[in-house]
Amino acid sequence: MSAAMLEIMAIAVVTAAGCAVVGTFLMLRRLAMLADAISHAILPGIVVAFFLTGNLSSPWLAIAAAATGVLTVALVEALTRTRRLREDAAMGLVFPALFSLGIVLIARQAGNVHLDVDAVLLGELAFAPFDRFAPGGVDLGPRHLWLMGGISLLDLLLVLVFYKELKLATFDPGLAASLGLAPVAIHYGLMTMVSLTAVGAFDAVGIVLVVALMVGPPAAAYLLTDRLGALLGLAVLLGTVAAALGLALATWLDASIAGCMAVGVGFVFLVVYLVAPGRGLLAELRRRRRQRWSFAEIMLTIHLLQHAGQPEEDDEARIDHLHGKHVGWTPDFTRTVVAGAVRRGLVVREGERLRLTDSGRVTAGRALSGSA
Amino acid sequence: MTDTPAAAVEVTDLTVAYRDRPALWDVDLEVPAGKLMAVMGPNGAGKTTLIKAILGLVRPAAGRVRIHGRPYAEQRRLVGYVPQRGSVDWDFPTTVLDVVMMGRYGTLGWLRRPGTRERELALAALVKVGMEDFTGRQIAQLSGGQQQRVFLARALMQDAQVYFMDEPFQGVDARTERAIVDLLKELRSLGRTVIVVHHDLQTVTEYFDWITLLNVRRIASGPVAEAFTAENLRLAYGGRVEFLQRQNPADPAPGDDEFLHGFGRIRP
Amino acid sequence: MTAPWEIYADYTLRTVSLGSAALGLVSGALGAFAVLRRQSLLGDVVSHAALPGIVLAFMLTGAKAPLVLVTGAALAGWGAALLVMLVVGTTRIKTDTAMGLVLSSFFGLGLLLLSVVQRTAGAGQAGLDRFLFGQAAALVGDDLVTMAVLGIVVLVVLTLLWKEFKLLSFDPAFAGTLGLPVRALDVVLTSLLVLAIVTGLQAVGVVLMSAMIVAPAAAARQWTDRLGRLVLLSGAFGALAGLAGATISSLVPRLPTGPTIILAITAITLVSLLAAPRHGWLAGVLRAASQRRQAQADGVLADLYRLAAQHPDPTRAPHAVDVLRTMSDRAGVRTALRQLAAAGLAEADPDGRWRLTAAGAERGRVLAEGTP
Repeated sequence: MSAAMLEIMAIAVVTAAGCAVVGTFLMLRRLAMLADAISHAILPGIVVAFFLTGNLSSPWLAIAAAATGVLTVALVEALTRTRRLREDAAMGLVFPALFSLGIVLIARQAGNVHLDVDAVLLGELAFAPFDRFAPGGVDLGPRHLWLMGGISLLDLLLVLVFYKELKLATFDPGLAASLGLAPVAIHYGLMTMVSLTAVGAFDAVGIVLVVALMVGPPAAAYLLTDRLGALLGLAVLLGTVAAALGLALATWLDASIAGCMAVGVGFVFLVVYLVAPGRGLLAELRRRRRQRWSFAEIMLTIHLLQHAGQPEEDDEARIDHLHGKHVGWTPDFTRTVVAGAVRRGLVVREGERLRLTDSGRVTAGRALSGSA
Repeated sequence: MTDTPAAAVEVTDLTVAYRDRPALWDVDLEVPAGKLMAVMGPNGAGKTTLIKAILGLVRPAAGRVRIHGRPYAEQRRLVGYVPQRGSVDWDFPTTVLDVVMMGRYGTLGWLRRPGTRERELALAALVKVGMEDFTGRQIAQLSGGQQQRVFLARALMQDAQVYFMDEPFQGVDARTERAIVDLLKELRSLGRTVIVVHHDLQTVTEYFDWITLLNVRRIASGPVAEAFTAENLRLAYGGRVEFLQRQNPADPAPGDDEFLHGFGRIRP
Repeated sequence: MTAPWEIYADYTLRTVSLGSAALGLVSGALGAFAVLRRQSLLGDVVSHAALPGIVLAFMLTGAKAPLVLVTGAALAGWGAALLVMLVVGTTRIKTDTAMGLVLSSFFGLGLLLLSVVQRTAGAGQAGLDRFLFGQAAALVGDDLVTMAVLGIVVLVVLTLLWKEFKLLSFDPAFAGTLGLPVRALDVVLTSLLVLAIVTGLQAVGVVLMSAMIVAPAAAARQWTDRLGRLVLLSGAFGALAGLAGATISSLVPRLPTGPTIILAITAITLVSLLAAPRHGWLAGVLRAASQRRQAQADGVLADLYRLAAQHPDPTRAPHAVDVLRTMSDRAGVRTALRQLAAAGLAEADPDGRWRLTAAGAERGRVLAEGTP
C-alpha cells in the first residue's frame, strides 16, 4: 500500500469512528434519518461561510455548518409543534429546501474549483493526501486527518464524559429530566456534535458516506450486542472494516471511493444481518421454524387439557378431528406435531385418540400460567 | 345436521400468537343470535386479538370461526365492525358524512362511487346516533364521544347481523355512553348480535346479557347470570380481586351491590 | 413590449416546462397519499435507491430510452422499499435506521456504478449524471411521451380506485373487514408512488425528488380538509413548482433545475404555512388575539355586573372607567368597553360613565355567577 493510500485509509478510519459514535446515539433515539437530513442541510452554511471567508479550511465553515445543522433540527421541531405537519413530513420538507439552496449557491459560482456539486456528494478523498497540514512549513500529514481526527476525538471525549447522562437521556428522557439532567440540552448537544461531525466528514468523504457511516455500522453492531459500551466499540470497528473494504473495492474497480465505501457499509451490514448469532436473519428463521413446532405441540397439550373432563373430550381428542373439525391443521402438520409430542412424552396415543401425560399436563399448565 | 339454528358466532379452538408470544390459547365460544355480549379480561388478555382473529385481520395459528354457520369470508355482508377509536388518524382530511359512507364501500363494488342512496342511508345512521348536525364537519373537530358515534354510524351503514365493537365506551362522555347503550338495545330488539370489548365491571349486568371472560385462554363464556361470578373474575383478573372470593355477584344476595361498588372499575 | 408568456413560444422551453409541470402534477397528487400514509421518508429511500437501477439498466441494455431507465429505477426503488420492510420485520432495527442504511448503501452503489460508467462511456455520452440533480433542459419529445403515458396511467388508476385508496389510507383494518384486498391495494398504491417518483427523476434528480412528494401535499394540507381537494391542490402546487422551476432554470444560466423546482415548491409551502386561512400561522395569531379580546371583554362585563349588582336595577347604575380599572389589573379596559358597546351589551352616558344594557346585565350575570 502506498503512502497516499495509507493516508486515505487513516482519514477514512477516523471519519468512520466519529460517525459511528454519534450515529449510535442517533439510532438509539430513532433519529437515524436526521443523519441524512443534517448532512444535506449543512450545505448552505458551508457555502455561505466559504463565500465570506474565501477559504475552505477556515474554522468558520465548521461553525457555520454546525449552526445550520442545529437550526435544521430546531426548524423541524418547530414545524412539528405547529401540528400542521408530522415530523417525517417536516423533515422531508426542510432538508431538501436547505440543500437546494446550497446547490444553487454553488452552481451560481461556477468555475470555482474548490466547491463543486460532485464534491458535495462524493467528497474528494482521493485528493485528500495532497492537502497537507503544514504549520510553519513542517509537514504533519493530510489536513483532513487532523481535522477529522480532532472532531472524532472530541466526539469520543464528550461521549465518555457524559456517558451516563447520554445513556439515561436516550433510554428514559422522562427520568433524566426528573433527575435534572436537562434532556433538551443533551439532545441539542448531540445534534451539534452530529452537525460538526457531518461537516468535518463531508469535506473529506461527501454526504453519501456521512450518512452511510453514521447509520450502517451502528445498525450492524446493534445485531451483535445489547450493551451500549460494546455497541459503540463494535460500531467503530465495523465502520473501519467497511471503510477498508470500500477502499479495496475502489482501488480494484478504479471507482468512486465514497461510493465504494458506502457499498462497503451496506455489505458489512448484510453479512452481519445474515449470520449474526441470535439476531441475524438465519438465526431468526431457524428460531421461527423451531418455535412453530414446539408452539404447535404446546397448543396440542393445551387443547387436550382444556377439554379434559368435559363431555366433548372424547371427540376433541381424536387425531382426525384436530385437522378436520376443530383445530383446523392440515393432516400432514397434525401428524408431525402428534409424532413430536409423543416423542417428547407429552401425549400418548390410544388408537385414534390422544391422552395427555403428566408431563404434558405440566407443559400445558405452565404455558397457560406463564402467558397469562 | 341439527335442528337448532347455527350460533351467530362460533369459535372453535382458536389459538393466535404474535411471533413467539401467544395471545390466545385454544379459545372456544358460542354466541347465540340476538345477544349482547361483553368480552372482558385484563390488559393483554387478548380481547382485541379475539375480535381481529374472528374478522380475519390477524391470522390464527389454529382454530375455526363460523358466523351464522359459515366461514367469515362467506359471511362478510353479515358483519359490522367498530374498531378502537385510536386506531385511525383523526386528522385525516375527510368529513363525518364521508366516514359514515365508508360503511358501504364493501357492498358498493369496484369503480362505483357512493351516491344519493348512500348519502341518505348515512344521514339516517347519523340521526340514529344523534350526530345529524355534524355531517359536513371535518373529523378532527369532533370530541372523543362524537368520534365514537361516527364510528357507530359507519357500522350501522353496514346493516349487519353481527356487530363487533372494540372498546366503544373507552373515554366517551355520559351522553355518548347512553346513546351507545340505547343503540345496543335497539339492535338486540331487531335480533342482531353485538359483541363488545368492555372494561367497566359495574355496568356489565345492566348493559349485557352474555359475557366472555378472557385471560389468554377462555375463563368463562355464557349468560351473564351464570358466567359473571367472583370465581371467574378472580381467574380472569388474578390476585387483584381475591378479596371478592367470599361473594358471588351472579347470586342476587344482599351483598351484590356492595360487591360491584367495591369492585369499581378495573382499568389498565 | 412582449407578454411574459411569449417566452413559451420557444419549442424547447415549452417542452421542458410542460414536462416539468406534468411531473410535478403526478408527484404532487401521489405525494398527498404518501404523506397521509406516513410514507414521506420512504420517498427519500425510493428516489435515492433508484440511481443504481438507472445505471444498471443502462449498463445492461446500453440503451438510454427513458422507458428502460425508468423501469430500472422502479425495480431498484421497490427493491429498496422491500429491503427496509424485511430488515424491520426480522430484526430489532427500527424503520428510521433501516431506511438510512438502505438509502445510503443503494445510493453509494449508484455512485460507484456511475463512476465506472463515466470512465468507460464518458459522462456526457451516457448523460446519466443529470439524474443526480435533474436537468429538465435535457427533456426531449421522446421523454415527454414516456412521462405523459406514465403520468396518465398513474392518474387513471388513482381515479378508478379512489374510494378504495381513501379507505385504505384512513382505516386499513376496516377495509380488511369489508373484504377489500388490502395487501394488493397497498402494493398498487405504493407502486404508483414509486412510478411517480421515478418519472420525476429526470427533472428533479434522485437527491431532491423526495421533496416533490412531501412539499406539495404539506402545502395543500394547509388549505383544505377534504381528500379530493387535497389531492387536486397538491397536484396543482406540484405542477406550478415544476413549471416555474423549469422555466426559471432554463432562462437563468447556471441554475440547476432540480434545486430550483424544490426552492419553488418550498416557497409555495412557506406561503401556505403562513397565510392559509384557518390553518395558517397568521390565522392562528389572529384567532388567538380575538380570543384574548373576547376574554378581556367578558372580564370587564362581569366586573360591571358585580358593581351594578349592588343596585336594585343593574341597568341603571353607571360606573366610571377608573372604578372598573381598579376591579382588576387588566389592561385595555376602554377597548373592551368599546367592544361591549358595539355588541349592545353596555353603553356610555354623556359624562363617560358606563352601564349595562338589559342584554348585558343578563350575560354579565351568567359570566359572574356561572349559572345561566
